Amino acid sequence: MDLTRAKIRDLRKALDTKEISAAELCGEYFKKIDEKDGNVLSYITVTKDKALKDAENAQKLIDEGRVSALTGIPLAIKDNICIDGVKTTCASKMLENFVPPYNATVIEKLNEQGYVLLGKTSMDEFAMGGSTQTSAFAKTKNPYDLERVPGGSSGGSAAAVSASLAPAALGSDTGGSIRQPSSFCGVTGIKPTYGRVSRYGLVAFASSLDQIGPICSDARDCAVMLNAICGHDRHDATSARVDTPDFTEKLGQPINGMKVALPKEFYEQGIDNVIKTAVMNAAHELEKQGAILVDCSMPSLKYAIPAYYLIACAEAASNLSRFDGIKYGFRGEGRTFEELIRDSRSKGFGEEVKRRILLGNYALSSGYYDAYYKKALALKQEIIRQYDKIFEQADVILTPTAPTPAYKIGEQDNDPVKMYQADICTVTVNIAKLPGISTTCGYTENGLPIGMSFIGKRFDEQTILQAADAWEQGFQTVAPKL
Amino acid sequence: MAVELKTIEHLCELSKLDYDENGMKKVMGEMSDIIDLMDEIKSFDLNYDDTKDGNEIRFCDTREDVPEESFPTEKLLSNAENTDGCYVVPKVVE
Repeated sequence: MDLTRAKIRDLRKALDTKEISAAELCGEYFKKIDEKDGNVLSYITVTKDKALKDAENAQKLIDEGRVSALTGIPLAIKDNICIDGVKTTCASKMLENFVPPYNATVIEKLNEQGYVLLGKTSMDEFAMGGSTQTSAFAKTKNPYDLERVPGGSSGGSAAAVSASLAPAALGSDTGGSIRQPSSFCGVTGIKPTYGRVSRYGLVAFASSLDQIGPICSDARDCAVMLNAICGHDRHDATSARVDTPDFTEKLGQPINGMKVALPKEFYEQGIDNVIKTAVMNAAHELEKQGAILVDCSMPSLKYAIPAYYLIACAEAASNLSRFDGIKYGFRGEGRTFEELIRDSRSKGFGEEVKRRILLGNYALSSGYYDAYYKKALALKQEIIRQYDKIFEQADVILTPTAPTPAYKIGEQDNDPVKMYQADICTVTVNIAKLPGISTTCGYTENGLPIGMSFIGKRFDEQTILQAADAWEQGFQTVAPKL
Repeated sequence: MAVELKTIEHLCELSKLDYDENGMKKVMGEMSDIIDLMDEIKSFDLNYDDTKDGNEIRFCDTREDVPEESFPTEKLLSNAENTDGCYVVPKVVE
């Protein structure tokens, strides 16, 4: 069976018609992983034994006709999502040997459907980064060009789907960590509205911004995955008590009359011309399909990077204070309690994680709190207000997903400021708790994918899925040659 | 703006992190650049109004306070490096 960019719906059909068994299907993926992942390094842990048991269970369900959308479908899971009995490292030395004693809610939901776990994918350490090069274990490469980064922090998930080493994967997105690697790796990834998907069992980075979401070959598969993982959860008080629609419902519907806003600041300085051109060409294609393009402005974008990093790092400094080497995680040395904790944290965390903890504590510390953290919260309110204003005259917003295509490995390693500024197109979506989906809208001269993002109103994932799907139906993607 | 050594030392204290001499020099330079970037926010002249924040957690929605079976102790301790039926730490009181 040709698994190149295989869609969940096609695999579903193959499983249901007994063209292939669940065990054979995951076996095919493991064969590809064995052949190709030595170059791509998308997985940290491959779970062959568990997969065979999962597949056996799934096959029983299929044989009994008790089939859900993901029964027997092999999936990859980002390594910051807890799975009972499976190592969850967050790509950090700090959690190198951590085996969670419980499942994240999204995993419970996937288990209910009878999915098959292929393995845990690499990421930037504790999801802090946009290149997957801060991973302590697998510095993932871009399947389109192995000398380039796959993006991050969910770079392992995006690269695995891109290289057809999994048909779909889960990632997490705090400031663009699903959308940006999807863009770099030429696949489709959706960050749902904050509260749409439970965060229980997701190792926390910035709790007011984190959200789990799927990375797939296209918007249709994203809708299927989102159907499976969404919903209120009593274990997560921030998960929303809202109706969960069928996210596949609007797929295939025409976008005639859909108002697509283009905030001018997303197309100005700092965005590569090749990106601007590709996204604007896509906008005009959508116009030909009947969409109405709306000019608008988002002046607060110029403050988005400091606002995001101050809020995210303040929360990270608090969340990561739990890592002390006592109850779990890397244990350093020390004659006293204080020495032990400091040694554990200093040796267990990588450089980028430590920088962000320092920045977070700086923003929260006495004398700086009002000037930085409270100002960032004021900006958050202003960003929400400006998005609300745009949505008074538009159904969706269209922006580039990243200012550049995938860059060379090592190019930004020594410049954290440059690295932070590269998040400009994605962070406001998390700040305003909105849903956003990235899909491929073109390729550079040397074949690197270019991504564009549709941003929707809160809890209106259906419309951005519809818009992305409408684009994808007329666009030919090119899988990487590995 | 260059960040002073004593500021970084204070942040290390708050963060429970240590650097050697070279590491400290490097992180001082990096933090100075990062804080310059963060300083851009100072020119934004609106103030935070906490009455305008939507309260995401409705406390009336919290679950009933009913005892439930928790995780088995043995399973939880399996992730600690040094255990003897409990977490073992260096002496806190001499």
